[in-house]
Amino acid sequence: MANLKDIKRKIASVKNTQKTTRAMKLVSTAKLRRAELLAKKSKAFAETLNETLSEISYTIQQYKIGGIEGRFFEEVEFPAVVDIIFVTSDKGLCGGFNHQTIKTVKNLMDKYRSKKVKVRLKAIGKKGIEYFQFNKVDLEDKIVGLSSSPDYKKAAEFIKKSVDDFLNGGTDKVILVHNGYKSMIAQEIKINNILPIDINGLKMKETKSMLEMEPEDSEKVLDSLIQKYIEYNMYFSLIDSLAAEHSARMQAMDSATNNASEMVRKLTISYNKARQESITTELIEIISGMEAMK
Amino acid sequence: METLRLKIVTPEGEIFNDDVKSVTFPGEEGEFGVLPKHANLLSLLKPGVIEIEKKDSQKESIAINWGHVKVSEDGTTVLVDSAVPLVGESESDIAKAIKEAKELVQKASENKAALASVEARIEKAAKLI
Repeated sequence: MANLKDIKRKIASVKNTQKTTRAMKLVSTAKLRRAELLAKKSKAFAETLNETLSEISYTIQQYKIGGIEGRFFEEVEFPAVVDIIFVTSDKGLCGGFNHQTIKTVKNLMDKYRSKKVKVRLKAIGKKGIEYFQFNKVDLEDKIVGLSSSPDYKKAAEFIKKSVDDFLNGGTDKVILVHNGYKSMIAQEIKINNILPIDINGLKMKETKSMLEMEPEDSEKVLDSLIQKYIEYNMYFSLIDSLAAEHSARMQAMDSATNNASEMVRKLTISYNKARQESITTELIEIISGMEAMK
Repeated sequence: METLRLKIVTPEGEIFNDDVKSVTFPGEEGEFGVLPKHANLLSLLKPGVIEIEKKDSQKESIAINWGHVKVSEDGTTVLVDSAVPLVGESESDIAKAIKEAKELVQKASENKAALASVEARIEKAAKLI
């Protein structure tokens, strides 16, 4: 009879878990919507920034002898130090979301290490930090709490160290890795080489008339814009990653809820079987008892 | 009355998008005003106050810590890091906005003299509300 009770307890426990996962799914759906809205709002800034950046680089290319130059665009053929900044979540229970990012970072690391390039890792988010610390990999820099609530100022501060290092030669390349939002049900890994800036990647937009600049040193204007561009890229990968995290968690919790339903179904069947069995045994006992009495 | 299109965007979203009569910016090389049909211009902005004269001649002020502005045929677009609009429903709201605006500018600038003039501006703008 103990068997029956055990199964009953199991069913209750699975149902309880299901309640939790269902609630978490609902929460993630709501949070995803908010994160999406944030990303959408911030697109206006990105568009304006890109437009201005392309216009200004066009103007410089057109009117300045030698085209655009500056530290931000200097591509080093054999980099000696590479910074990899990656974004993971602070919380778990979101399927393979963080693992995908970590795997990509490890692949990148191996690729550069095999070429004898020094790799410096900068981690955002608890899960990534925990993973690399557990595996005894040194992290150059780490921050917790930024990926769950993106903040422009903190993001700018975090990336500033890399930008400064890049400007004074401390590093030759800065790569940004995060798991980005693709759709409600899909995420994709995004690897963004933010420094040096690929000059061909900047779409040149023709301006209708000559732009007047203030201050007149157009490169100073460009530099200042590029710094914003980098900061913004950092911020955007945070909000993109947050949206992806919620969509991943939503999915994970959805399948967990489904799995739980399936498990309850199976357990109920075995419960019914066990019940029937015990009734049959009891009946046999009674009948055989009666037979013996005759 | 001719107007120009003014758009102010921060990384968190658009904070202003409307037709206005004129607007004054704290440019890197000095303050300047923009009226409709201004020549194309791209300028860096320093910490300070953007003053807007709206269609209904109402004044609005927004404190910023950094930014740049692009004036072109299709309108005037301002990109800023963070901004505090100096508006409020009640006295306490306004007081709060002023405090925030001052903090914002203080963080962005170390130049004491510039800071003082900006603060004076913020106070002045606040009085107009």
